[in-house]
Amino acid sequence: MRKASRLSLYSALWLASAIFSLPLLLMLSGSLKTTEQLARNPYRLWPENIRWENYPVALESMPLLRYLGNTLILCTGCVIGTTLSCALIAYGLSRVRWGGRKYLFALVVGSMLLPWHVTMIPRFVLISELGLYNSFWAIIGPTFLGDAFFIFLLRQFFLTLPEELFEAGRIDGLSHFGLFWKILIPLSKPAIATVALFQFVQTWNDFSGPLLYLNDPQKFPLAYGLERFVSSYGDQTHLLLAASVLFTLPIVVLFFLAQRTFIDGISTTGIKN
Amino acid sequence: MSQSTTNLKQSERGDRFSGLIFCSPWIVGFVFLFAWPFAASFYWSLCRFDLINPPEFVGLENYRRLTSELQSQKGFGLALTNTLYYSLISVSLSVITGVLLATLLSAKVKGQAIYRTLVFLPSVIPIVAASVLWIWLLDPESGMINYLLSWLGIPSQNWLNQSRSALSPAGFTEFSQWLQGGTLNLFGSKDALILMTMWGVGNFVVIYLAAISDIPGQLYEAAEIDGANVIKKFYHVTLPMLSPVIFFNLIMGLIRSVQTFASVYVLSEGTGEPGGSLMLISMQLFLSAFADFEMGYTSAMAWVLFVLLLAATTLLFRTSKHWVHYRTSS
Repeated sequence: MRKASRLSLYSALWLASAIFSLPLLLMLSGSLKTTEQLARNPYRLWPENIRWENYPVALESMPLLRYLGNTLILCTGCVIGTTLSCALIAYGLSRVRWGGRKYLFALVVGSMLLPWHVTMIPRFVLISELGLYNSFWAIIGPTFLGDAFFIFLLRQFFLTLPEELFEAGRIDGLSHFGLFWKILIPLSKPAIATVALFQFVQTWNDFSGPLLYLNDPQKFPLAYGLERFVSSYGDQTHLLLAASVLFTLPIVVLFFLAQRTFIDGISTTGIKN
Repeated sequence: MSQSTTNLKQSERGDRFSGLIFCSPWIVGFVFLFAWPFAASFYWSLCRFDLINPPEFVGLENYRRLTSELQSQKGFGLALTNTLYYSLISVSLSVITGVLLATLLSAKVKGQAIYRTLVFLPSVIPIVAASVLWIWLLDPESGMINYLLSWLGIPSQNWLNQSRSALSPAGFTEFSQWLQGGTLNLFGSKDALILMTMWGVGNFVVIYLAAISDIPGQLYEAAEIDGANVIKKFYHVTLPMLSPVIFFNLIMGLIRSVQTFASVYVLSEGTGEPGGSLMLISMQLFLSAFADFEMGYTSAMAWVLFVLLLAATTLLFRTSKHWVHYRTSS
């Protein structure tokens, strides 16, 4: 490639990277400044004197640790619910031979097209009637009934496993549950890990679920709890930014630990269609 | 013979039982979280219902109210216009920038993984944290965005404090007045929302990148032999080969943008303000259900939205055969 086009390629790459990462860098640096520094020189990336105190102050002035605890309870519950239910359902839709499975699979795919708006009110009524309003179960419970998208993902994976292994298991006298636990699950760990990861991130970020179903501030998770402080802390941007960094950091760390899983998970969803 | 047939039948019956057992969570979920809500919300859309008293059948009253609001551009009408503005611009921008960024990031250069990570990272930031950040970045006085704009000679914008949007008749008037020496207050709250959405375009970029890596290298080689330059190769090879993924992302983007809720809620502090400009359809639905307790009216609105979304998707599918090139496997 010619030198000039090489140069323009690199400048375009640099520009794009700068545009996308600048807001994140500002969030980080803003969380280490005083209100006064923020007002005087908000764009300075490296604070004149780094104020780590913002973090303990943010933790003290907002009940972030309680929110974090709630978020972790919700994440654990939802991850268990989703992986368990979706693996079972996807097994029933892929490795059990029975007449109804293709109709049921069509329903799984079809349900993905229904926007949440349509089911919002009846689901709310149902959850309230079951006495689950203001309980974590309002959010965790439904994950035990499967999620269309994750079922779809797991089913596609289960279908790629060689039939001979299951045949061998059957000859050894394994029932379907035996095949599920002893053959399918050990072979599908990466796919199940993908589902677990995506569900974790989804629950960590979930805002509308807690908004709809929780009203006791003691039960708020981070996403919703943090929002409650946005209006009242309008003049304490540095603390809001510090709280946002704390809220974001685990997801960023998780992303770097499981980068491949993230990227593959997202790109397969696009390619499969 | 007959023995083995009965065995087969028996095992099939056994498998149907196992199949039902394994799928039972979904069957329960489908009935209670989809089928019943689907039917109930349709019935309630024909009722007056406040969650406390039993639903009272009122026929098409809710739908009539929606039609009149559509004409007066209040309530549902305003929300639909807002959503249309946001969806059209954010979806088309995300397709354009997504494809361009993916093309750029697929160039074989040193540090490719780092560039890719930096572009992708914002899309994993939780929406509430991203909103907190952007409220600050878009602050008319101390925000970074206005500071960057000032480098380009563009006066300070009101962003989240302004209801008027850039690509609207009022925006055009404003722009033409600026050219004649007036002030410029072009970008409003929906433009702010679009900007924030575009920051998270990395999700789509990843999908395009995967698709680009699947394009056979021979196609580019053949194009090079024919004397194609970078732009021609993009136009005649990359773009047609990406069209199925573009189509997929168009549909996903449309569905996602229509459902956008958390960011609007945080940016407008749960009000849909200023001037109702952030009252997207999901905000309007949430508030009319859980602030006004008008469940019948809300259900009717959800149904109209559902039908509109279905119509838009069908329309996209119809047009797709004119521009989506599916690879024919030989």
